[in-house]
Amino acid sequence: MRSEQEANRAIERYADTVRRICMIHLKNHADTEDIFQNVFLKYVLSTAVFESEEHEKAWFIRVTINACRDLLKSFFRSRTVSLDTLLDQPAELTQTDHTVLEAVLALPPKYRDVVYLHYYEGYTAPQIGQILKKNVNTIYTLLGRAKQALKETLGGDDDA
Amino acid sequence: MRDELKTALDKVTADEALKQSTRAFLARQTHEYGAAKARPRTARRLAAAFACLALVIVGGTGYWAYFSPTCAISIDINPSVELAVNRFDKVISVEGIGEDGEALAETLDVRFLNYADALDSLLENQTVEDYLAQDEVLSIAVAGDNQGQADAILAQAETCTAGTKNVYCHAADSEELEHAHEAGLSFGKYQAFLILQSLDPSVTPDDVQGLTMREIRDRIAALDPSAAQGLYGEGHGHDNQNSGLGSGNRNGNGTGAGNNSAGVGTGTATGNGSGQGQGMGAGQGNGHGHHSGH
Repeated sequence: MRSEQEANRAIERYADTVRRICMIHLKNHADTEDIFQNVFLKYVLSTAVFESEEHEKAWFIRVTINACRDLLKSFFRSRTVSLDTLLDQPAELTQTDHTVLEAVLALPPKYRDVVYLHYYEGYTAPQIGQILKKNVNTIYTLLGRAKQALKETLGGDDDA
Repeated sequence: MRDELKTALDKVTADEALKQSTRAFLARQTHEYGAAKARPRTARRLAAAFACLALVIVGGTGYWAYFSPTCAISIDINPSVELAVNRFDKVISVEGIGEDGEALAETLDVRFLNYADALDSLLENQTVEDYLAQDEVLSIAVAGDNQGQADAILAQAETCTAGTKNVYCHAADSEELEHAHEAGLSFGKYQAFLILQSLDPSVTPDDVQGLTMREIRDRIAALDPSAAQGLYGEGHGHDNQNSGLGSGNRNGNGTGAGNNSAGVGTGTATGNGSGQGQGMGAGQGNGHGHHSGH
């Protein structure tokens, strides 16, 4: 079991990452709190040894995505929700931010992960494949389709 | 698009309240991160589990020990009753064999009594007394895997019945008990049946079922007087028939019976009787006597 210092350091370092993944998957604050508790408890109880910070971060991303998926598998969860109920600080978002996030949330869940990992975290397709435990070619396909969908909703074309 | 997404997502952060609640949750779940504190809970659970397990084992063993019969006492007049005795010398079941046996078993309230008390109350039973008053023969046979206990019960039975006429006690082995049950007889009766069969091979268990012990004994006596004596005389140390003098020890079944007038015989553990006449074993063992008497 890890110490309190380790846990607090991990919370400071990865809370935002976990929060973002929750945001693109979950629909309310209570669920987000659940995920936080699950993920960090798992970290505290885990005996995994991390070779590097990158490794540790990838671990957090993977555990969070899985936790979100598990949560969503349960019944009686509505499928749509407005962005406002989803965010604790909607006031800070500009109109553009709003549009972009809405566009991402409009994607099917399996595209959201790759979009987030590729555009925000800057992972390459092979790295995403490792994190999500999927074939690299699948990632390329998912990325391509997500890009296409975002292009259609957002109209912009300045992707990398 | 990458930049827009980055800008938008950068604004999504975990607020302090969320972090705080997570920290509080972790502290709760891990008991303030105390490994030493976490352990007692596991230890206590394990202890509880073991306590339950121990309880089940002790209870199960106790039940098994109490309710598995180690000895059986077969009581035959014609109603045949079998008492099962456990290792604590308590009667754990009373089973009547045949209709009248069941009727007798129902009038006996000897369950969970010590076998000695059970035998006493059996001999005082009105039905049994009535039978004995009619000059019927009561046979008590004891069988058990535990030789020590079987011997003790047999000794007790002999003491109980010492003052009563027409009561005979003898030992049997548990293998015989199984055979008796297969034939649908109590083993006291089964032993008598075996003797009768050795004298008259045409006899079947069904024939014997309806007969009283007195009737079986009479039939045996009619076919071979010394055999009848051998059956019941065993364990009594000496037998007298007519004027013959015989002795046999309990296991040996040897009956040196002077056939008609003045034979002197001794029976040994191997069933050899010397003297004039025949020694007859309890059930199967035949002791053949030499013709050396006068």
